[in-house]
Amino acid sequence: MNVVRATQTHDSRIGGHPVASLPLATGLIVFTPVVLLGNLLGSFLRYPDIGAAVLYPPYAILTAALVVCPARDRVWYILVGSGAHLFAHWPEWSLSWVLFADVANIARALVAAMLLRRLFGGVPCIDSIRVLSQFMVTAVLAAPAVGATIGAANVMFHGASNTFLAPWIAWLVSNALTGLVTLPACLCAFEYIAGARRIRIERAAVLETLLLGGALVAMCGVAFVGTYGRPHLAVRLYAPLPILIWAAVRFGSGGASLALTMVTVAAIWSVDRGASPFLASGDGNLFALQIFVLLTSIPVLCLAAVATARQRVVQLYRALLASLQDHVAILDAHGVVLEVNDSWRRFAQSASTVPGFHRVRPGDPFLTACRVDAEHGDATAEGLLAGVTSVLNRAHRRFEMEYDLEHDGRREVFTVTAEALERSDGGVVVTRSNVTARREAQVQNEEQRRELSHLARVSVLGQLSGAFAHELNQPLAAILSNAETARHLLRRQPVDVEQLSAIMQDIVADDQRAAAVIRRLRALLKRGDKRLHLVEARELLDDVLKLAQTELLTRHISAAVVVEPGLPLFLGDKVQLQQVLLNLLLNACEAMSLTPAPDRRLVLTAAGSEATGHVHFSVRDCGTGIAPDLIGRVFEPFVTTKSDGLGLGLSISQTIVGAHGGRLWAENNPDGGVTMHCLLPTTERSRIDASPATEPVLTAGRET
Amino acid sequence: MNAHASTVARISVAIVDDDASVRVSLRRLCEVYGLTATSYASGREYLAALDEGASRADCLLLDAHMPEMTGLELQRRLVARGVRTPTLVFTADEETGVSPHYAAAGIVGYLRKPLSGDDLLDAIERAVRG
Repeated sequence: MNVVRATQTHDSRIGGHPVASLPLATGLIVFTPVVLLGNLLGSFLRYPDIGAAVLYPPYAILTAALVVCPARDRVWYILVGSGAHLFAHWPEWSLSWVLFADVANIARALVAAMLLRRLFGGVPCIDSIRVLSQFMVTAVLAAPAVGATIGAANVMFHGASNTFLAPWIAWLVSNALTGLVTLPACLCAFEYIAGARRIRIERAAVLETLLLGGALVAMCGVAFVGTYGRPHLAVRLYAPLPILIWAAVRFGSGGASLALTMVTVAAIWSVDRGASPFLASGDGNLFALQIFVLLTSIPVLCLAAVATARQRVVQLYRALLASLQDHVAILDAHGVVLEVNDSWRRFAQSASTVPGFHRVRPGDPFLTACRVDAEHGDATAEGLLAGVTSVLNRAHRRFEMEYDLEHDGRREVFTVTAEALERSDGGVVVTRSNVTARREAQVQNEEQRRELSHLARVSVLGQLSGAFAHELNQPLAAILSNAETARHLLRRQPVDVEQLSAIMQDIVADDQRAAAVIRRLRALLKRGDKRLHLVEARELLDDVLKLAQTELLTRHISAAVVVEPGLPLFLGDKVQLQQVLLNLLLNACEAMSLTPAPDRRLVLTAAGSEATGHVHFSVRDCGTGIAPDLIGRVFEPFVTTKSDGLGLGLSISQTIVGAHGGRLWAENNPDGGVTMHCLLPTTERSRIDASPATEPVLTAGRET
Repeated sequence: MNAHASTVARISVAIVDDDASVRVSLRRLCEVYGLTATSYASGREYLAALDEGASRADCLLLDAHMPEMTGLELQRRLVARGVRTPTLVFTADEETGVSPHYAAAGIVGYLRKPLSGDDLLDAIERAVRG
């Protein structure tokens, strides 16, 4: 079968956040040099007095490692991070300063890592503004604020500042910038190292990355390297912006973060060299740089989040379309094919002889294809053209039709639906499915059901065979006696014509009576389709009683029939309903086989009215009843209360009643025995009169 | 005609069957053979006739299955009243074998419908002669 194609590209994952397990050795091999480099970069440019860096990469690097690594390994990363910190700043700064500052670093990274793990279960997948906001509140504001508080305390402790606020703000902005600009890239990188992120390296992507990197370097050069004789040309700052947008749209938050880091480093470098395009000097220059980077980063990361979300939606939609077995084509408001799925495409390729509308491709006008087929006399195309047009015009929301198609040398059945696309531009989704197997199964099912119902009927008649023999033997006995009497009378002189004629009349009547018995039998034995008749409850009960009459007699069961006057007619298959009621009746008879003969009473009722919308039959016996644990299950196949029963009769009866839209259930009577209820919906008179079904009903009624 | 005509003459039979056409045809057959036949639609009717002084028949023909009172029940009631008429039970059933209750109730023969006139006459003759 077809594998869903959900290609993973550079900055997107489908699904949740896999739990990363960063191996300690690999992690440290990468972490050590990177964190060392980060520390050096952090000390590269900083506010001179308070020691706060403009951008402080160790925060991002340590946080990313702590998010991805297993909890037990955290201490190693913290130790290595502290070592790198010490190496970079001691003995330039006093040991106490360095250690105090390190506490701030560790606290900040731990807070950020905990918050991210708690919120996202690991590395956040920044694919919505909501996730970006949550990321910013935690990693860009909360954790840096914790770090800034400790850092500012350090500055105050060492007497390097008179106020708490100034160093606090400097530390906060520095680390907020780091969290925003560098952390997303670091998280992606560590996740990749941990193996949680699978990236398929494609040549086109590598080429694009190289191009983007080159363009970024060039634009950073324009913005931050030369002064071009105009040191205050601030507009140069916009030069990297298009490249940043490119990175955000194509490589998501990780790519954008990496590009932003590069721009920031270049900006720091330019300020350091005095080639800054910022219009301030000294600390003001640094602050301007930070504000520039912050204001650039936020929209670029927002764009990255939105682009990732869009990419994800597109991937999902492609994967969904590709996974569908049905053939799907999406049309625009003019009926031009926008997109088809793989199933559609494959069918179009495999079926060269089918009408052309099956073979349209993206860009083709679907309606025109239908029209061409219709002009060649294809009725399906004509119907589809009308249907799709009506949905396109919003005259209908949905159109559906079924048609046959000669395909691969066999006749197949398809359904095609056209459903309005819920969007302002309009359009239609055309879905086609091959329902041949489903239809064949339905036909087979129906045949099996009919066969089973017929077998059940035959078995009911088997129970009645003795009764039928009795019923046939009665008129046969009378005919035989009459015939013998007639033979004797004919030998006498004078012939008693009057008596002979009475005898002949009786013979004819008894013959007709026997024929009627056989006819009733045949009607039940006949296997056939469901035929709807207008059924009258009284007549139905009478027929059933006639069939069961002898059975009742031989079992010494007295039956009372209570039929409410004015019962409405209803549509149903007479033979099948007879089968149901006969089955209920015979079950009731059998249930009373242990009841003393004078007490064997059976009550048949029919009630209901046009107003209630149903006719309610009930068969009440005074037998042994049904065990409470069985009463709900007697309609399941092979559940029986009889020693020699198969347990199919009631199950089939229920199927029949269900097919009539009715209901069949059993109830134990408070005074013993069981009442079986059968509820059948009546048909409104207007519907009966209007229904074309009455036509075959009436002819079927006369036939026999 | 046959040998029965002379021997069975003067025998009277009473027929009890709820099925009208069987009842009428049997009575005709008996009469054409020269028997005296009366017929009743139910056990109750026959008992009522006896109460009203109807003469006892030499042989009883009872249908086995009748509503209200079966042939066997009627026979038991007759026995209870001291009526010991030889009784034949006939039935349209396909059942084989005769219930032991029949013999116990003094039923002397069991016939299956449809039956020919000769068989019927044979059975009646044997019943009457004991």
